Amino acid sequence: MKLITHNMLTSKCLKGVLTGYPLAINATNIKINEVDFNPDFISRIIPKLDWEVLWKAADSIGHSEGLPQTIEQNYDDDKEFLKKAHRVLLEVEVEEGYLICPESGRQFPITKGIPNMLLTEAEVQ
Amino acid sequence: MDDAKKIERKRKRFAARLKSSKGVICSDNPEPNIVLCNVGQATSFEKCDVIKMLNDLPGVELTKFVAEKGESHCYIVFNCTDSAKLFFDRYNGKERMNDVPIYMNYVEKVPNTEIVCSSKNPEGLYLIEDFITETEERAFLNLFDWVEDSSLKNRKVKHYGYEFRYGSNDVDLENPLIEKIPPECNVLWERLKGYGIDFRIPDQLTVNKYIPGQGIPSHVDRHSPFENTILSLSLGSSVVMDWKHHSGKYIPLAIQARSMLVMQGEARYDWQHGIQPRTWDPIIETRNSSGNKSEHIRVITNDTIPRDTRISLTFRKTRRGPCQCVYKTLCDSVNTNIIENEVASKLEEVHVHQVYEQIAGHFSSTRHKPWPKVVEFLKDVSPGSIVLDLGAGNGKNILRRNDILQIAGERSSGLLSECKSYTRDVSAADCLRLDLLNANLRENIADVIICIAVVHHFSNQERRMQAISTIASLLRPGGRALITVWAKDQTKSNYLCKDKDNQDTSIHSTVGVNLPIHENRTQFKHNDLLVPWKLRKMKDDRKLENQSSTTLLRYYHVFEEGELEKLCDLPELVVEKSFYEEGNWCVICKKVQ
Repeated sequence: MKLITHNMLTSKCLKGVLTGYPLAINATNIKINEVDFNPDFISRIIPKLDWEVLWKAADSIGHSEGLPQTIEQNYDDDKEFLKKAHRVLLEVEVEEGYLICPESGRQFPITKGIPNMLLTEAEVQ
Repeated sequence: MDDAKKIERKRKRFAARLKSSKGVICSDNPEPNIVLCNVGQATSFEKCDVIKMLNDLPGVELTKFVAEKGESHCYIVFNCTDSAKLFFDRYNGKERMNDVPIYMNYVEKVPNTEIVCSSKNPEGLYLIEDFITETEERAFLNLFDWVEDSSLKNRKVKHYGYEFRYGSNDVDLENPLIEKIPPECNVLWERLKGYGIDFRIPDQLTVNKYIPGQGIPSHVDRHSPFENTILSLSLGSSVVMDWKHHSGKYIPLAIQARSMLVMQGEARYDWQHGIQPRTWDPIIETRNSSGNKSEHIRVITNDTIPRDTRISLTFRKTRRGPCQCVYKTLCDSVNTNIIENEVASKLEEVHVHQVYEQIAGHFSSTRHKPWPKVVEFLKDVSPGSIVLDLGAGNGKNILRRNDILQIAGERSSGLLSECKSYTRDVSAADCLRLDLLNANLRENIADVIICIAVVHHFSNQERRMQAISTIASLLRPGGRALITVWAKDQTKSNYLCKDKDNQDTSIHSTVGVNLPIHENRTQFKHNDLLVPWKLRKMKDDRKLENQSSTTLLRYYHVFEEGELEKLCDLPELVVEKSFYEEGNWCVICKKVQ
């Protein structure tokens, strides 16, 4: 699971849960998977993300080093920043671990890099 | 003399060939039986061709003509050796068919290709011969000898009362035709009552004109649009109608001109009937059974009779609502019963989710390329877009692009691991295990959603609607989705195998519902059904085994035309485009700003 994906995951379908966002991460295995750096893509995707959630997620798994907590105005000119963002968004992968619903504590396992967001019928709204 | 030698040489060569390849023993001495060595059913040689030849030989009588299916030789049986000799001397090597001389030999034995069938007609079937007089037949022929205004691929057709719709095999009750069943037909009802037939006066008539060579595929008249009694009056020619029951019973029925066929009960609801596309029919005889003299058998003889132009009048009485019959196998109302949510989720668990887990490897090996319509749809997606592929399968529709974020959501863990390795080197792609009905994703995030061949796996309307509303909620305002489902109508796709006739007979009982099992590569007859997947296991080298080991059944709801558009008719969605592509109904819809 990349952190860009984590930025979009919720547990809102759980019975009794209101927003279910953001999910906490408990990572037992993290790996870095280097991929193409496309600065244009990074600068275009950033406004669509919840940066605060991204920063906290990166921080919670020990990968926030050098990453600003807030976005500067002219971030898209800052190559160094975009590179860091690229690394955190696309290269840091949680291989094993689980996500935790902030309201109910329900855990969603992450196995071989894939978070399992399925719920049982009894759990849904 | 030279010619005679040449013919004799050819004749002997054919005799040797027939003996070696077909085991047919020819004789040099005259016999009452002759084999025509190089013409037969496979070369379109027919009994009428022999009859033509006999015109030149007064007094020579043909007893039997035997043309086995697929063979390029055939047999003629004469009443005596003298007749055979006259025929042989006159035509051997001299008569031509398509410019090729016909060679003949005498034979001792003629194969018996007769087929013995049960003499018992389907329950509820009554054939009343000479139902109308020849004068009445002429009057009906005049009445229905219409201008050739309508064309169906295999026959001419005209409707009265209501138009019979061939796509859905029903009528539109809200749109009756101005032309009602002609009053000249009223005489038929009185007469039928005289025979003790209990029925309601028909309000729909279909007139079909079959010229020799035309037929109608095996079918059952759809149950719910019509009442129990269906009547068929034959004019102009006899024909053999084949009756097939899903238990395997087969009954040929010779229908004479001027006869009335009454179909009720089991014959109407539980049997399929059809007419083979031929210019002739076998002669059907009823004989005493050799074992038990009081028992009758029906025999499809070797002998044939040519067809003439036949006009059939099919009378039906329309009705509303689901069918109430007790014959469920061919009933179109069996599966329109709503599958309750509890059953639906069990059905999907067993016949969708579990099946995909088991077939993941095999399934994935059969799907490599993104679907061209997906490529076309995603072509205009601008850099920086967020694309969700919901029900991504093995990820074949994930594009090799690094300027968009592509998230593959899939329920099957087997397919997901295929997907994960397939997308490993796509820089901004990721995989999620996800349920489309309860997708734990933020709302309004997706610029684009594709949902390819997924929604047809939800087994009731409520769940299909829920799937579409998930898509609507995940799209950002102004975002677009491409949704495709399997179409019930497969006539414009490569899916159909022309040689296959859909029997759709077997019903599978599972998790509290009965569903028909589809015959692969045939047209769909039901909306809710199980489609077999012949599973081939993966060998260690990731190649497939040649033989399938098990057959698994996948649940599908196949869509009628317009059904997907209707499903997408939500306040927040606008259907921008709707189209049919290779057996799928597809829509592109946009979330309103």
